[in-house]
Amino acid sequence: MNKLLINGVHHDVEVEADTPLLWVLRDAAGLTGTKYGCGIGACGACTVLLDGEPARSCLLPVSAVVGKAVTTIEGLSADRSHPVQQAWIAESVPQCGYCQSGMILAAVSLLRKTPHPTDAQIDGAMTNLCRCGTYNRVRKAIHRAAGQAADMATGHPATT
Amino acid sequence: MSLNPELKSARALLSRRDFICTGAALGGGLVLSIPLLAQESAPQRVPAAAAPRPPSAFLQIAPDDSITIITPAVEMGQGGHTALPMILMEELGGNWQRMRVEDAPPASVYNNPLFRRQSTVGSFAVRGWYTELRRIGAAGRQMLIQAAALNWGVPAAECSAANSVISHPPSSRSCSFGSVAQAAAALPIPQDPVLKSQGEFRIIGTSPPRVDVANKVDGSAVYGIDVVQPGMLFGAVQTCPTLSGTLRSFDDTAARKTPGFHSTVALPNGVVVLASSYWQATKALAKVKVQYELGALAGVDSAAVSRRLRDGLAEQGKLARDDGDVTAALATAAHTLEAHYEVPYLAHACMEPMNCTARVDDSGCDVWCGTQAPQDAQAAAVQVLGIPPERVRVHTQYLGGGFGRRGESDFVTQAVTAAKAAGRPVKLIWTREEDIQHDFYRPAATIRFRAGLDAGGRLQALECRVVSASSPAFAFPGPPFYTGGVVDANYAIPNFRVTGINKDIGVRFGFWRSVNESHNPFMVEGFIDEIARRVAQDPYQFRRSMLLHPKAQRQLGVLDLVAEKAGWGKARPGHSLGIAGFESFGSFIATVVEVSVQAKEVTIHRVVTAIDCGIAIHPDNIRAQLEGGMVYGLAAVLRGEITLDNGAVRQTNFIDYPLLTMSEMPRVESYIVPSTAPPGGVGEPGTGPIAPALANALYAATGERLRSLPLSKHGLTFNVART
Repeated sequence: MNKLLINGVHHDVEVEADTPLLWVLRDAAGLTGTKYGCGIGACGACTVLLDGEPARSCLLPVSAVVGKAVTTIEGLSADRSHPVQQAWIAESVPQCGYCQSGMILAAVSLLRKTPHPTDAQIDGAMTNLCRCGTYNRVRKAIHRAAGQAADMATGHPATT
Repeated sequence: MSLNPELKSARALLSRRDFICTGAALGGGLVLSIPLLAQESAPQRVPAAAAPRPPSAFLQIAPDDSITIITPAVEMGQGGHTALPMILMEELGGNWQRMRVEDAPPASVYNNPLFRRQSTVGSFAVRGWYTELRRIGAAGRQMLIQAAALNWGVPAAECSAANSVISHPPSSRSCSFGSVAQAAAALPIPQDPVLKSQGEFRIIGTSPPRVDVANKVDGSAVYGIDVVQPGMLFGAVQTCPTLSGTLRSFDDTAARKTPGFHSTVALPNGVVVLASSYWQATKALAKVKVQYELGALAGVDSAAVSRRLRDGLAEQGKLARDDGDVTAALATAAHTLEAHYEVPYLAHACMEPMNCTARVDDSGCDVWCGTQAPQDAQAAAVQVLGIPPERVRVHTQYLGGGFGRRGESDFVTQAVTAAKAAGRPVKLIWTREEDIQHDFYRPAATIRFRAGLDAGGRLQALECRVVSASSPAFAFPGPPFYTGGVVDANYAIPNFRVTGINKDIGVRFGFWRSVNESHNPFMVEGFIDEIARRVAQDPYQFRRSMLLHPKAQRQLGVLDLVAEKAGWGKARPGHSLGIAGFESFGSFIATVVEVSVQAKEVTIHRVVTAIDCGIAIHPDNIRAQLEGGMVYGLAAVLRGEITLDNGAVRQTNFIDYPLLTMSEMPRVESYIVPSTAPPGGVGEPGTGPIAPALANALYAATGERLRSLPLSKHGLTFNVART
């Protein structure tokens, strides 16, 4: 039994220890906002926050996240009110949208560490792949969200 | 005030209690809704022109005034769920804020009027549906107004509809759509509804928030891969790497001992392993020993493909266009020029790998997936199960990218096969490796050009021999399909011959965003540039000189606009510009790329694009599509290449089939030519121009002409300028 803390909620999941967090989230916890894209950590569609740091959940065995706080896109806010989500809506960023959960979480992490990132810092931090070509809107949305939330809290309720 | 006899008889159909005006609810139930022609058989039939499509198949209005639009175009990021409802709602006069959107089930009523199939492909959605959805919306509005007018006993002509409210100004009465919708549904469908003039448009031409965006920022949007069915198994699939391979045998002894294993299902070219979780299925699959027959592609590599294409140049082929007398004109030309261009196979690489969930039971079959072609998905299940189409229900989900890949249904066939064998619902998910290695590839192609110019430097003759790794099965009427983007060039060239040569390599190929215009313009517009340089003419002015005829007016317009916006002829010191333009999917497009080059390091400073796509339905989304198309094209131009070894694709994942990244995304400017012409396509046209515009800019910078893709093969590296 693996005891996980996902979006502030404790989950007990019964999976083999080598199961990647991605599939635990999607198939055991029912949190399908985190996407499978490549399985080798190359595309970032599976990005979640692990104690606030971006992590590619397709490469992360569930045994490695026990005791850490996992934040998925579903945990960012209850009502799309997180400044990054709001910026994403305002700039109409998503096209197919499949990469955007990971994009948004990567942006949240960037803005938490660098509240007013330069273009070069955005280029360096945002390594997620988007096949639809939304990069320039992602960039605009990050600039829009910049500074709007000095405390880029993950949004999920306090640990219970 | 009297009603005409027709209205009186219509009124007789209505019960007085149907009219509960001003927002009072009827107590549930959809109105303006006759049973959908859903899930019917007879796919790919277009209703006779005389029979108007019933508004109820596209539009449902509930007593609480909520409006449901059933869209015949799926949503794969191209904005179909927003653009098509905008067109219908424009004429309906409905309240945009109260609208929701549903995907259409497979049914012939949803066949695209232009493409004649229910497929969201080829930038056909808005082009095909523009007039039809306006008619449907206008018919709905007329029926609603008539129902209200009958109720009030006033002439319908004195009533108007806007924002889901019908008004009769002379009597100061009004009522909501929802209150009369049920009554309206009983009225005859107008055969010839009156459409708005363009000047009356209130929704078309604006950019309301796309209806799918909010659900795509909180993880709630459901894609095919997210579907969950009670009791479902998870399937992992492996098929023969050699693309012609078939299954000989498999041994799953070791796999059977792994946790969660359920069963192994044989496919014609591989196996599916079913397990209680997807991770268990992938682990078990890795333990299955599979033997394949490699088939005809064994031993075939990319060099062999290239040789076969070049061999094709010598074949007679099929004449696609033959204006004037090319042979004579070439023989007497003052200058001649010859060049040979080549492009590789490409994979689609949708971010969401192929997947499908299927359930087979006594009631028939349910299929859940992202598909661009619901009727084809249905047909795939029918093929496996041998049951009538109406027993196969297709539930279309959001597509995590389509780009033509999800117009195919191979993943549906696999999922239905596995679900049938298991007797339980199955969610089948391809790995990225399976996705890259078992695509329907953009065909490799080559063109040999010969040009003849007169002493004045005018292009008098152009011969194009187009060889494509296409397939004989891929036959449309008209000139060979794969000569698109060559045969339809708008340049005034007195002697112009295009020949198509089909070299079926046996690699399955398909529609890749922009299809022929993803690559043929690279070759044509590159060669046009060469010709201009050969006679020391400015590439923009040289193109202009061949676009002065009336049929080329719109192409000239975008060329002029993009040249102006990009500052053609005024490049900054050390910077160079390249230009390209053509007609594409009913639109006209042109791009200028600005570069600087230091040794082999190329800096892309900016990409400027102009499009004339007729009436711009949703300008913000058009700009997004232009930009997205360019990114799709640029990834291919820089380093996109699918190569073969022993008939198998060498590339496996994003490490060796790299997409464009954020740090490589150039500055982009997009311009839309104001137009009142019927809409053209916008999803595809943006993909093609970047290749020739960039290659032409590189020639301007370096004097080196690059005639094959990807450009990385020429030893170049790329970066972008941020200012």
